[in-house]
Amino acid sequence: MTSELLQQVRVIDPVTGTDQTADILIADSVIKAVEPQISSFPTDTQLRNCQGLVLGPGLVDLYSHSGEPGFEERETLASLVSAAAAGGFTRLSILPDTMPPVDNLAGLALLQQKGLGTRKNSSSLTPHSLPEVYFWGALTVGIQGQQMTELAELAAASGIVGFADGQPLGNLALLRRILEYLKPLGKPVALWACDRTLVGNGAIREGAQSLRLGLPGNPAIAESTALAAILELVATIGTPVHFMRVSTSRGVELIAEAKARGLPITASTSWMHLLLDTRAISSYKTSLHLEPPLGNSCDLEALQQGMRSGILDAIAIDHTPYTYEEKTVAFAEAPPGAIGLELALPLLWHNLVETGVWSALELWRCLSTHPANCLRQIPSVIANGKPAELTLFDPQQLWTVERQTLHSLADNTPWLGQKISGRVLQTWR
Amino acid sequence: MATNTWTRHHVLSLADFTTDEYNTVLQTAASFSEVLSRRTKKVPTLQGQVVANLFFESSTRTRSSFELAAKRLSADTLNFTAATSSLTKGETILDTAKTYLALGTDMMVIRHREAGVPQAIAAEMDRLGVRVGVLNAGDGQHEHPSQALLDLFTICTLLNPQQPQVELLQGKKIAIVGDILHSRVARSNIWSLTASGAEVHLAAPPTLLPQMFADFGTDRLGNTFLHWQIEPALQNADFVMTLRLQKERMTQYLLPSLREYHQLFGITRDRLQLCKPNVKVLHPGPANRGVEISSDLMDDPQFSLIQAQVTSGVAVRMALLYLMGSGV
Repeated sequence: MTSELLQQVRVIDPVTGTDQTADILIADSVIKAVEPQISSFPTDTQLRNCQGLVLGPGLVDLYSHSGEPGFEERETLASLVSAAAAGGFTRLSILPDTMPPVDNLAGLALLQQKGLGTRKNSSSLTPHSLPEVYFWGALTVGIQGQQMTELAELAAASGIVGFADGQPLGNLALLRRILEYLKPLGKPVALWACDRTLVGNGAIREGAQSLRLGLPGNPAIAESTALAAILELVATIGTPVHFMRVSTSRGVELIAEAKARGLPITASTSWMHLLLDTRAISSYKTSLHLEPPLGNSCDLEALQQGMRSGILDAIAIDHTPYTYEEKTVAFAEAPPGAIGLELALPLLWHNLVETGVWSALELWRCLSTHPANCLRQIPSVIANGKPAELTLFDPQQLWTVERQTLHSLADNTPWLGQKISGRVLQTWR
Repeated sequence: MATNTWTRHHVLSLADFTTDEYNTVLQTAASFSEVLSRRTKKVPTLQGQVVANLFFESSTRTRSSFELAAKRLSADTLNFTAATSSLTKGETILDTAKTYLALGTDMMVIRHREAGVPQAIAAEMDRLGVRVGVLNAGDGQHEHPSQALLDLFTICTLLNPQQPQVELLQGKKIAIVGDILHSRVARSNIWSLTASGAEVHLAAPPTLLPQMFADFGTDRLGNTFLHWQIEPALQNADFVMTLRLQKERMTQYLLPSLREYHQLFGITRDRLQLCKPNVKVLHPGPANRGVEISSDLMDDPQFSLIQAQVTSGVAVRMALLYLMGSGV
């Protein structure tokens, strides 16, 4: 039995809504005590002075992409889970767009087997505990948006966290039937509201900046019209829906109205949409080509406020690895997406908490308890006798984002080469 | 030549060009224009330097103009065209640029069908710490700085052949008509003309001229006006710039037909009656005769500056290569 005593650590607990300094005793992956000061502990306890460090519930990622199987040059399951652990995540939810996709039990079994192998091979990975890995099952066969998968069979399988294609589902007749079919299954459904015909070849959110940069615009109505249509389906059918990747101010408004009407919905945006807007794209860095695209400044403001006020529930990482070769093309031709598991907490903390825009509690709950709620999972609790599912974070540690310091195989991030502050020291689960 | 104020190493966009920089380009181009009128049209300015034309998007006119400009300055030129390149063999755009860097290139003239590629290559050169200038010869729908500068030179030279300068444009009304949404030429021209104090009147159907263009450039010396009908744009205009209309706009739900476009926005002799009597028409070429401009007008020296634009192009590109090569 090994015991650790974290002394005078800043404990952020979204469940109780507290942010205070305390001592925490952890033994055998269980929280043994949380007290202002702990003076009695087993003699072989490792003591750790944690002044200046932050401890909170383990972070929960709503959706990210794995390269493996199919695109191992982008990211393997092993590199993905170690990146997640290094970024403070204790739960990771992988979208089904692998090759083959997770659209049937065999695809799921393959991934779970590979995941288990990863776990065995990485058992020496300390001090980070590997996150629990969950899988989103595909809504449609091959993620083609044509035919629903065997949803009931998948729903009964362990490891399926819910259903999502991670792609827009343009066929409303099919979506209607899927929502009806899923209703008794009780699994989360995540939808990306986006009308591809309105997106066209858009590569950046339409507006004055898209005109200045000469990049084809993706209009905000591509999100809002699709969102309005899905809300009508939810209002009629009643199946709860999670809206992933909300990216526009109008989207936030529509969700606020729908929640006020009592519709059973939750919503998330990606961490990068809370930090950057189209102004950043003047560098034409292809790591800023996201889908949905970064918003205009009014969108950024609405997303930040919407997240703080609870209209939006959770921050997603939407970690999307691509190789150097895939991303070293023209901006509009680059495949959309950026990595984020190791960067989200430090950069959100630095830009939102340290600047006083958000409280530490507000940020932490959007990265831990709220995403767990969206997945209808029980959030981690910091209390005596509870399993230790925790993340220890040093907001001040400086490090440079580069290939050697990242656990992810990919380095498609606009922060590449930059020195940032904040690093996760350890996770428990 | 006034090069003392020139510090710009790359020419990627005109968005942040200063009045001084415009005037330096105009004065330098005027000097080279004089050189080009001599019997021996060559100067030794860039002798021993290598100018690489990296045209990822095919172009004959602009590439010929840049190639001639470099040769008139005695530079050695290398030509890259995407069709014969290794891009199809898995090489990235940065690999291509680095190959030309290793060949000893001093300046790269870059055209690409997508916005931002010259910026990406310039950033890579800067990251590598090498002194290679990058000149944007047209990137997607973003910018085409040398085209706007040659338009500026053509206009200013017409207004004062001895001393072309941007101040001549103060209060002039310039109409830009056509597919503004997709035009890199229009964007660069909006920056240069509004910086010069001209009144810029944009005219196109709403699908090709979204209202958002009203916010395109703020805090500029000259104002920008949007028109969804052509008549108010042409009324008392001093210059009319027409833009090429790509045929694929019809399949993108932007226009019903070329016929209707010509009826509503084509520049014709009749329509020019609305303008100032000595109005001149510009077109960056290649023009669709009978679509954005009526065929007979193109060839009428009383109105058309199209040939003068092509001639100015060489002098202006010589000026840019010279300034970039001599900059701090």
